[in-house]
Amino acid sequence: MSSAQFEIQLIASLVAIACAIPGTFLVLRKMAMISDAISHSILPGIVVGFFITQDLNSPLLILLAAITGVITVVLVEYIQKTGLVKEDTAIGLVFPVLFSVGVIMIAKNANDVHLDVDAVLLGELAFAPFDRLLISEVDVGPKSLWVIGIILMITITLLIAFFKELKLSTFDKGLAASLGFSPAIIHYGLMSVSSITTVGAFDAVGAILVVALMIAPSASAYLLTKNLKKMLFLSIVFGVFSAISGYWFANWLDASIAGSITTLLGLLFLAIYLFAPNKGIIAVLYREKQQRTEVSLLTFLLHLKNHDEVSERHVNHLNEHINWQKVRAKTVLDLAIKNNMIVIDNNIVSLTSKGNTFTSQAIDYIITNEDAQIEDMKDDFFLFRG
Amino acid sequence: MNNKIAVQVDDLTVAYNYKPVLWDIDLEIPEGVLMAIVGPNGAGKSTLIKSILGILNPIAGSVSIYGKSYKKQRSLVAYVPQKGSVDWDFPTTALDVVMMGTYGSLGWIKRPRQKEKKATLEALEKVGMLPFKNRQISQLSGGQQQRIFLARALVQDAAIYFMDEPFQGVDATTEIAIINILKELRKVGKTVVVVHHDLQTVPEYFDWVTFLNVKKIATGPVKDIFNDDNLTKTYGINYKVSIQE
Repeated sequence: MSSAQFEIQLIASLVAIACAIPGTFLVLRKMAMISDAISHSILPGIVVGFFITQDLNSPLLILLAAITGVITVVLVEYIQKTGLVKEDTAIGLVFPVLFSVGVIMIAKNANDVHLDVDAVLLGELAFAPFDRLLISEVDVGPKSLWVIGIILMITITLLIAFFKELKLSTFDKGLAASLGFSPAIIHYGLMSVSSITTVGAFDAVGAILVVALMIAPSASAYLLTKNLKKMLFLSIVFGVFSAISGYWFANWLDASIAGSITTLLGLLFLAIYLFAPNKGIIAVLYREKQQRTEVSLLTFLLHLKNHDEVSERHVNHLNEHINWQKVRAKTVLDLAIKNNMIVIDNNIVSLTSKGNTFTSQAIDYIITNEDAQIEDMKDDFFLFRG
Repeated sequence: MNNKIAVQVDDLTVAYNYKPVLWDIDLEIPEGVLMAIVGPNGAGKSTLIKSILGILNPIAGSVSIYGKSYKKQRSLVAYVPQKGSVDWDFPTTALDVVMMGTYGSLGWIKRPRQKEKKATLEALEKVGMLPFKNRQISQLSGGQQQRIFLARALVQDAAIYFMDEPFQGVDATTEIAIINILKELRKVGKTVVVVHHDLQTVPEYFDWVTFLNVKKIATGPVKDIFNDDNLTKTYGINYKVSIQE
């Protein structure tokens, strides 16, 4: 691995981390589309900044572009507040216009500007190592690395300092306001960080991948965890994983790095969507099947509890009176025996004392939905997990 | 109850897009009452609470909490928003949501520590939710979620509690549990203000009531003013509610 290859992967990874952090909160605030809007509408800001500074990595350009990003958010909210259109329509109105202005500006000044629309959409990660930062003639690494590194440091500092405030205002804006944590300040703070991150990442990975890096890792993490800190951590891991594996995928295919990273992000989400332990499609289907069986089990146990007569408790009765088919009846019987809830003597089924207590507790729980004693049963039965 | 005024609202007018939803409200809430705010849908009940708490900006009028502006008295006030106002799929636990009640006294940047954790566990215990502390909040029933919200207000240890429909969508057991806690709060001298929908239970649960329908219709002790006359004025149709003495 050459040093240029290493630098590209390092830049891509830092970009992924810097995107995953605000991305997690955007996903939780149901504002994923706003990152799409920001990533496109900062273009005129970048172009104007480039006219002035002639340097894509200049802090002034980043600031100008980030301001365009925040202006986008303000415009979207303003249009939305009129009550004439919904939020998604407002987003769809604002960003294409701003983006087009940027595209026209590039086209009109094509001779003077070292920017082209391809680079804007997909970035030029492969060329990032060529633009070096020289301090008193000493090469200290690629400029992009410094830019995204500094942005990442700021993001992490803000995250650590204001984690509690971000969490509260994301979960419950009303309480945040009443406790004196202005949701507006936190909202625009997050929007500013998202804008700055987008601009910093833009040069390396382009407008489309920035969105993917903000949303896909967080959305994948959301399916896997019920803990905000873990969600942040997993988003970062997924982002970095896709960045590095995407690089090698592109290397192997001899294709666009940005495109490969985005493809892997999509595949990663698909895999998690299918196989996630709790919210994944396969897990959901399995759970539904189990729940059906467990409801049957409970129906059966309740029947036994309600009927002392031997005739009602005969094995064959299952098929005739409860009206279950053979397979279902067998599954339920096996499950009940496995859990020591029934005994079968001479084809007559009886509840054990464990089965008896379980039935009472379970019915009680289902009716009142509160019984601390049932807590440990949640590990065994899907039925009680809500 | 004494003669101290906990909350004073003067000439409060609130508008959404220049359409007034609360018009010239004057209201005094005495210290130590358990008060219901009743009125039809769209009467501005939630809006009134949110304006008192500075979540909405009124276009006219003022609010004071024990004689000072809300901003100066935040620590005296706890708020339970409507259960439906938050996303219960948010990745967090019951314990963590209740802990949010301590954020106000912590202020910006500072994190909860042992003291806050202890207060949180006590509040969970009070509402009978201690066994569920590590449960993800989407895995709780509607009644349990409401108890968590109540615990989050209790942990603030405030003087005045504002609650927006705490009985909405909860089972009877939870409703009784909640009202008992509210009555206990009153017993120790706290002021509790509840947006309430079920007119039948007003005389049983509350000792003070405010009738609201964009304008204030009446406010005072339940035994004096909770009558057909005020109900008719508020709801616009003839109401007959029998009041048990």
